[in-house]
Amino acid sequence: MLELLGIGKSFGGVEALQGVDFTLRDGEIHGLVGENGAGKSTLMKILAGVHADYAGTLRVDGAETRFRSARDARAAGIGMVHQELSVVPALSVAENVFLGAQPVGRLGLVDWRRMAREASEHLEGLGIMVDPRAPMGSLSIGLQQLVELARVLFSGARIIVLDEPTSALSPPEVERLFAVLRRLRDSGKSIVFISHFIDDVLRIADTVTVLRNGRKVETAPAASLDKRGIIERMIGRSHGQLEESYTAEIRLASRASPVVLEAAGLCLGRAYRGINLEIRAGEVLGIYGFMGCGQVELTRTLFGKLPAESGRLKLEGKPLRLRNTAQASRAGLAFVPESRRSMLFGQEPVYKNISISILGRLAAVLLRPAQERGIARGHIERLRIRPPLPDRPLGTLSGGNQQKVALAKWLTYPPKVLVLSEPTRGMDVGAKDDVIKIIRGLRDQGIAVLVVSTEPETVLALADRILVMKKGAIVREFANESVSKDRLLAAA
Amino acid sequence: MSGADDPVTRQAAGAAEPGRQRRLAQRLGGQLRNLAPFVTLLFLVVFFGVASPSFVSFGNLANILTQISVTGIMAVGLTFVILCAEIDLSVANVANATGIIVAFFTLQDATVNIANLPLPGAVAIGLALASCFLLGLVNALGIVVIGIPSFIMTLAMLEICAGISALLVRGQIAYSVPGLVQMLGTGSIGPVPWIVIIAALFLAAGHFVLGYTRFGRYVYMVGGNREAAEYSGVNVRAIIAAVMVISAVCSGVAGMLGVAYFGSAQQDEFDNYLLDSISAVVVGGTSLFGGQGGIPNTIIGLFVLGVLNNGLDHINIDSFLKILIRGLILFAALIINVYAQRLRAARPLA
Repeated sequence: MLELLGIGKSFGGVEALQGVDFTLRDGEIHGLVGENGAGKSTLMKILAGVHADYAGTLRVDGAETRFRSARDARAAGIGMVHQELSVVPALSVAENVFLGAQPVGRLGLVDWRRMAREASEHLEGLGIMVDPRAPMGSLSIGLQQLVELARVLFSGARIIVLDEPTSALSPPEVERLFAVLRRLRDSGKSIVFISHFIDDVLRIADTVTVLRNGRKVETAPAASLDKRGIIERMIGRSHGQLEESYTAEIRLASRASPVVLEAAGLCLGRAYRGINLEIRAGEVLGIYGFMGCGQVELTRTLFGKLPAESGRLKLEGKPLRLRNTAQASRAGLAFVPESRRSMLFGQEPVYKNISISILGRLAAVLLRPAQERGIARGHIERLRIRPPLPDRPLGTLSGGNQQKVALAKWLTYPPKVLVLSEPTRGMDVGAKDDVIKIIRGLRDQGIAVLVVSTEPETVLALADRILVMKKGAIVREFANESVSKDRLLAAA
Repeated sequence: MSGADDPVTRQAAGAAEPGRQRRLAQRLGGQLRNLAPFVTLLFLVVFFGVASPSFVSFGNLANILTQISVTGIMAVGLTFVILCAEIDLSVANVANATGIIVAFFTLQDATVNIANLPLPGAVAIGLALASCFLLGLVNALGIVVIGIPSFIMTLAMLEICAGISALLVRGQIAYSVPGLVQMLGTGSIGPVPWIVIIAALFLAAGHFVLGYTRFGRYVYMVGGNREAAEYSGVNVRAIIAAVMVISAVCSGVAGMLGVAYFGSAQQDEFDNYLLDSISAVVVGGTSLFGGQGGIPNTIIGLFVLGVLNNGLDHINIDSFLKILIRGLILFAALIINVYAQRLRAARPLA
């Protein structure tokens, strides 16, 4: 039904995909797995018509074609359901199913009754029982996803691409989704199922394709694969090599130093629940989990941006209540978010970027720019920020240097706790090493560091102890034992 | 003109490096914001100087200064608000209400038919200042605590203040204000009117606070990138609340002096001042998106508007056409404002 042959795509000299073949048959659920950056999203964006300039051939029903736009892809019967749903919570279920294609009667008025009836029939046909008049926002996330799936089908899709469909679902919701997917497969639809959750892929997929570094490693029937085998193919080491790598890894040792930050029973809506953790002085605690596992929200809670609904925080044994980020900063917490854009001021000079977070201690009323520049020069020298000019507008620095500035913001007066989200994302190797060294240096000064990342390498390189988060809960702790990428992946 | 230390920034940004052409474009983009209003002002002065012999004179300069003073005081507070990427649409009506409140507490002539409450001048002024502070606080709480967008919140405040004004004067006109207000609004020290001195003091104080204090830096940073300011531990809501209060107090002072300057306190007498004060800030080049610009920009903007209004009176022109010309000038300033922002935004921030 759908064939991709020898697909290649590069972004500015970086090969995102090279010679990838991918075949999707009628009535097949095809799992697509690979690490972050393996090329899954690029492949799917080609399929969705987002990237029109790629090498290779795309055939639909045997006819060669090339999608120039998302509209082309939709016209060819390809539908997408993303991790972030694109439903309209304020509208009814029926309106969401018919979004952009409401049935109209004479005079061009919306035929509400027909819409509700048809939506209801359509949903029941898929085995989804919901009131078509209920507002979308009142439904659970699992049902909203199914309604979006129904809309995609209703708009004529024969090939459906599901991106991380189970990351936000509870086990019964996963079961319900799988029942619907099997029903669709049996009616001849084809489904691409992209997921980090290898157990889920193995349960639902007929065929599995593994990508690694932009190349296809293998396509095989799901029945012939197991989780361990898939993880080995994803990270590209044989069983023997992995055994070796366990011993090569730094043994994780928890140190017996005082607990600085303690969280007990933190819950926040659907984001995370029952989070217990403690971070000790002079320790890097790593949190590993797939995108959307609640780690982003947890970092916001720890910096007073997103208060938890229940649970307690303690700093150095004393209860800590954070109403805003200013309070968190005063209490001795520091945070560098995953996006540099949400931490830095591109139009302002480097020194103002560095001083903004410590201005309260530098200046009661009047600013002292000379002192600010002096502090900035110190950080520029220690962290090897290039170019070494405190007055250079921050936006003109490279990404790695910007990340160093983001760290420098908190280093003048060392915080008690430093929370880092994706500290090495998107950096070149040299800058990455620098940042890793800086963070280790901070730990050795006795700062309690929390590193949150979706990249196993980052967590492994930095952490002394690792918590694995999955769907909003901490599911595994690695401490005092050897750990490696495949074990992390298997736990998440 | 955006900060106290820009020359150094310019020097560093001008250092020879690869990608010089792009950097040059960015520099021009950065300067477009400051250059365009200045060129406009020079052009207007030359144009009116040639077109009308009576335009270029010391007396007329004094006229222009006096004419822009009330707007100038309001524009100081508004500069803070716009630098934070917020807006205050209630400035003119807060001014009107405060002016009426100070007159309400002053003994009026027997012919004035207002049920007012005469109090000593100092008390009347104190009450008026407290009122505008309170009105600004309501704006601030609506925006940061309840979460109403400033555009809508201050629109409601505009109507609330119009209502307060209407209830206090009930269609009548009051003429008397406390002696101090009377002196500052109409008197002069030597050849210089007090109102010009007050406006200059407000502008100078505003520039000092924005350029040289911690609070001023926070205002720029909150406007430049609100999220980054918050993740740097800045209490963003407190800063926004503070600029709304500052704006209302500036408006209140402008309102009291304005009432003395006009010689009367009545409903709707500040109606032109909302547009004028916003125009002054924006024509001067302060970014509508926050974080760029400042009081020097506002001063240039005030002069552009002042010269334009005054100059149009000196040449023979259809008085109805003037309104259209003012609208077109504002439109042109908005185009430059948005375009300058786009050039600056071209800088990469990955």
